[in-house]
Amino acid sequence: MIPVIARKLVSLVLTLLAASFLVFAVTEFSPGNVARKTLGPYAPQESVDLLYHKLGLNDPLPVRYARWLGILLGLKADPLQDPALKLDFVDPRGDRYFGNFGYSSLYKASVNDVIWTRLRATALLAGLAFAVIVPLSMLFGVLAGMREGGALDRTISVFGIVATSIPEFASGVFLVSIFVVGLSLLPGTSPLTTDTGWPIWTQLVLPVTVLVLYDAGYLVRMVRGSMVDVMNRPFIRTALLKGLSFRSVVVRHGVRNAMIAPFTVILLQINFLISGVVVTEMVFAYPGFGRMILDASLFGDISLIEAATLIALMVAVTTQFIGDIGYALLNPQIRLR
Amino acid sequence: MTEENIHIKRLTVDLEARRINRREFVRFAALMGLAAPTAYAMAGKITGEPFAPSARAETLPKGGTWRIGTRIKDIKNPHAYSWGGYDSNISRQVVEYLTFTDADGVTKPYLAESWEASPDLKTWTFKLRKGVKWTKGDELTTDHVIWNLKHALDPAVGSSFIGLVHGYLLDDKTGADGKPTTELWSANAIEKLDDHTFRFNCKNPQVAIPEHLFHYPMAILHPDDKGVFGVGAQGTGPFELTEFELGKRAVLKRRTGYWGGDAAIDGMEQIDVGDDVSAPIAALASKQLDGLAIAYPSQYDALKALPHLNFFQVKTAETGCIRMHVASKPFDDARVRRAMRLAIDPQPVLEVALRGIGTIGEHTHCSVALPDFAAIDLPKRDVAGAKKLLAEAGLPNGFETELVVPNDIDWFQPMAETCQQMWADAGIKVNLKPIPGASYWDIWTKVPFSVTIWYHRPLCTMLLGLGYRTGGAWNESGWSNKQFDDTLTEAEGTLDLDKRKALVRKLEEIMLEDGPLVQPVFRNVFTFMDKRVKGFYSHPSNYFFGWKIGLESA
Amino acid sequence: MTAIEAPRIREKIERPPSLLRRLPTSSIAMIGLGLIVFWVLAALLAPYMPLDPPNKQFYTAFSHPAPSAQHWLGVDNRGRDILARIIFGARRVLTVAPLAALAAYAIGCPLGLAAGYYGGKVDAVISRVGDVILSFPIIILYVILISTIGPSILNIIIAVVVASGPGIARIVRGLTLEQRHLDYVAAAELRRENAPFIMFVELLPNCRGPLITDFCLRVGYTVITIGILGFLGLGLPPPDPDWGTMVREATVMISVHPYMSLFPAIAIVSLVLGFNLLADGVRELSMRE
Repeated sequence: MIPVIARKLVSLVLTLLAASFLVFAVTEFSPGNVARKTLGPYAPQESVDLLYHKLGLNDPLPVRYARWLGILLGLKADPLQDPALKLDFVDPRGDRYFGNFGYSSLYKASVNDVIWTRLRATALLAGLAFAVIVPLSMLFGVLAGMREGGALDRTISVFGIVATSIPEFASGVFLVSIFVVGLSLLPGTSPLTTDTGWPIWTQLVLPVTVLVLYDAGYLVRMVRGSMVDVMNRPFIRTALLKGLSFRSVVVRHGVRNAMIAPFTVILLQINFLISGVVVTEMVFAYPGFGRMILDASLFGDISLIEAATLIALMVAVTTQFIGDIGYALLNPQIRLR
Repeated sequence: MTEENIHIKRLTVDLEARRINRREFVRFAALMGLAAPTAYAMAGKITGEPFAPSARAETLPKGGTWRIGTRIKDIKNPHAYSWGGYDSNISRQVVEYLTFTDADGVTKPYLAESWEASPDLKTWTFKLRKGVKWTKGDELTTDHVIWNLKHALDPAVGSSFIGLVHGYLLDDKTGADGKPTTELWSANAIEKLDDHTFRFNCKNPQVAIPEHLFHYPMAILHPDDKGVFGVGAQGTGPFELTEFELGKRAVLKRRTGYWGGDAAIDGMEQIDVGDDVSAPIAALASKQLDGLAIAYPSQYDALKALPHLNFFQVKTAETGCIRMHVASKPFDDARVRRAMRLAIDPQPVLEVALRGIGTIGEHTHCSVALPDFAAIDLPKRDVAGAKKLLAEAGLPNGFETELVVPNDIDWFQPMAETCQQMWADAGIKVNLKPIPGASYWDIWTKVPFSVTIWYHRPLCTMLLGLGYRTGGAWNESGWSNKQFDDTLTEAEGTLDLDKRKALVRKLEEIMLEDGPLVQPVFRNVFTFMDKRVKGFYSHPSNYFFGWKIGLESA
Repeated sequence: MTAIEAPRIREKIERPPSLLRRLPTSSIAMIGLGLIVFWVLAALLAPYMPLDPPNKQFYTAFSHPAPSAQHWLGVDNRGRDILARIIFGARRVLTVAPLAALAAYAIGCPLGLAAGYYGGKVDAVISRVGDVILSFPIIILYVILISTIGPSILNIIIAVVVASGPGIARIVRGLTLEQRHLDYVAAAELRRENAPFIMFVELLPNCRGPLITDFCLRVGYTVITIGILGFLGLGLPPPDPDWGTMVREATVMISVHPYMSLFPAIAIVSLVLGFNLLADGVRELSMRE
């Protein structure tokens, strides 16, 4: 098992490297001038040229990528912190340390100062959504899947399909018009500060609901499918024939076996969730990671895009990794490659 | 006050002869250093009707935090600000200006207690208010002010103040690297007289210096802060910045011992509401905010429907200039530019893009909201005429072009779409290319055809000087017209209002004939505030002032 | 097995009872198909319907934008007829979404087939590269791509190909691996058919059940994606109608004129629902096979 995990870890790191190079290649391909973005529209051309030169923006892509990687790993000093540039850019962590993502031209601050509070806010949102989605979709998935074709199955499946057909932005605006404009029950934006007169939890209700609606629909169908599969297997019939009650067959045998397949799917939901978060954060002006990525992309803030995608990838790849291992542990019949 | 009397006398004669109206009289008298109340009283006496500024003296309820929805942009370098309505609204609660141009266009004393101009309008003497204390306790002196002026005029700082005063304080020169730059025209241009008096010695006459000093980059900072503003920065103003997070929020707390008397509210919180226009509406509907720094036309209908909000508006010169770069074909031909204007009827643009909340523009960037505006006849929409001009320019079948529209100003796209329909009638096929607002500033002076936001400035001549003078830093269209430049310089130095208006009219006519703009509308700046917010009014530059606000308890 | 037997086996496997013929037995699939046909017809017939031009601004309708006899679904915040914009918007979305999904298939299928059929190094390279792209949260990939190369029909198609090509390749690879060792493939190899023939003529048709399902889901998801991009301000260029952009532009009016965003949102939901229902129906049918 250990060498397998080690091999998986190596491939995980390689995936991250390749993906970050991909993002680097795509964003640096864009014509936007990093130096101009860093200094702002009215900065004199000389300063821009100086910075351009200093940052080596003329170098070929692989060279620039290697430099970025060097700064990230703390092997090289960040050229932007050179006082000769007069950028007033000071990172309290110094100019050379492990995990140095550089300087955000959009927020005019070190990426590490920008990114973590937003990531925490998003983790809160996604975590809550996840905490609702998983039990909810398991419950409804099992209920629907235990009697395939029954009335309950039909109803839940149709709801599932409809829910996955409503994009987050649509459900977002509908919920706002009902609960904020119509009923004045909830706040319409979620700045996550208490001095707005609305407690934090009220600000989380709608964003979490939007995420749950879209994701749970999909997951319910996955769990249902798996449950249907299990319920048709011989050992369930045997158990029923042995005289066990339907209820205890479902709970003891059905659910446990049906959970193996959706386990990985549930973990893959993290990726789905991150996607949904971008839209949801836009709708509710939520100060999170997703909105930051959108802003950074629109602005062309390459350091921030790089850092953000790297972190998003890390979360995604790590959950997949855990998914693979967990899957193998749950189901002894399957061995890791 | 003896010298100043010459100007006031001339203005009095003009008002008596009704060559200027009372509003213009008060504004110019104030610029010449006459205290605003005195100016209003004189105007009333001369015309025989009482004339007073709209009364705002109400006792403000004490306490509370004022929560405003806005954008939290970079605030680090006040002298290089470029977003008056956002960045400077944070710093202006902390650091102050030498003068104060109010919503009625009248300039009042602020850190400068009084000023006077020489008869030739070249020498301006400013007296600083005494007893103004910085946060750490030292007193504001002339040295501080001169440090600020020189810092803002250092080309390396990149302040837009340079463009404003270029005509009367600066000379062009070639820098050490061979690139054009600027320097003070004389070592004595900014002169210290004593600890509370200083003087501008200008190379050309200039009327509007007191107004220029309220331009948002010209905040007076403590020299120890080296031109940098942020949490803990020193100021002379009524608030202190205690928290700041770019893209999120800024928190300001009242400071005690402010020279103007302590503010009524305990503090204010400015909260970033993002680019999305609907989020702020939801926030106001659920009373998460007390109001918005700037409300946009697309938000008007929804905000108007909320019963707990008051509506505020003011006519301004804020506009979107659809500008044609004269170096790129076919806009290098003045006839094509004229045809572009002739194909447009501004009225539908006003209705569709601004929901009627604004005024008609005449493609000259001169707004009826400004005191030196001169009315000219805008030719009626004439599609046949436009086609004829295009044919003369060698484009009998019209042409196709691409209009770049920054997507961070909500009314630009409706304006562009409405114009697009009208241009199509004249055989001009315009494709719209929306781009992120942030990327636009990389290309705004280069792209052939685009829409640019221009915020309010108090004078037509100021706008024309910033945007259309040959080689000007913000001359985004590359337009150059010798006659225009000369007339502009002449107008800037003319106090006689008759003559000045005649010159502005001439400038407008040149713009209409040859200029680089299609500019159908000006927007009224407007916003909504919770009814519990007292003392608020809309300022044409989108400024707001925490020390004028009181909050009734909810 | 002999070469003489091979054609018979091939015949047998190539002709399972047609999915298409059994489609009417699935009510879910038929409802889905109905929704799709409704929008396809609307899109095809748009120019022949008595509709207002979708970009025309009615200055008179401006002060009373609500649904009326002249404008059945009302006008938007620029005085444009919402019904006309939704129907003309259907033309756009029904061109771009299926085209993009097809293009993704055109790239993903051959890659998946090659990976599954050849295995070894080919498989390793294709799967590794695919894994890298699949590890991205998909919207982030779209946002980065579109904000870099700019929104246009071609660019949205490119982005969809990049983002979903690897997923398709992975599915096709899995299906190919299942079929790879079946007799009919061996038979074709014995007949010395060349590799492309085996992949595209022998293997691919036998994978079609799950692929049709996946295709429908993908078109539906692409409709959502185009909507999301429009909503995020990365939509197709104005002023031609684009459903996501319509919702975006109207959300600001939601408290006073909710129908302005409601109608285009319903349009998106109904079309996506159509594809999802059809996919579900096809899946059920092909599982009963």
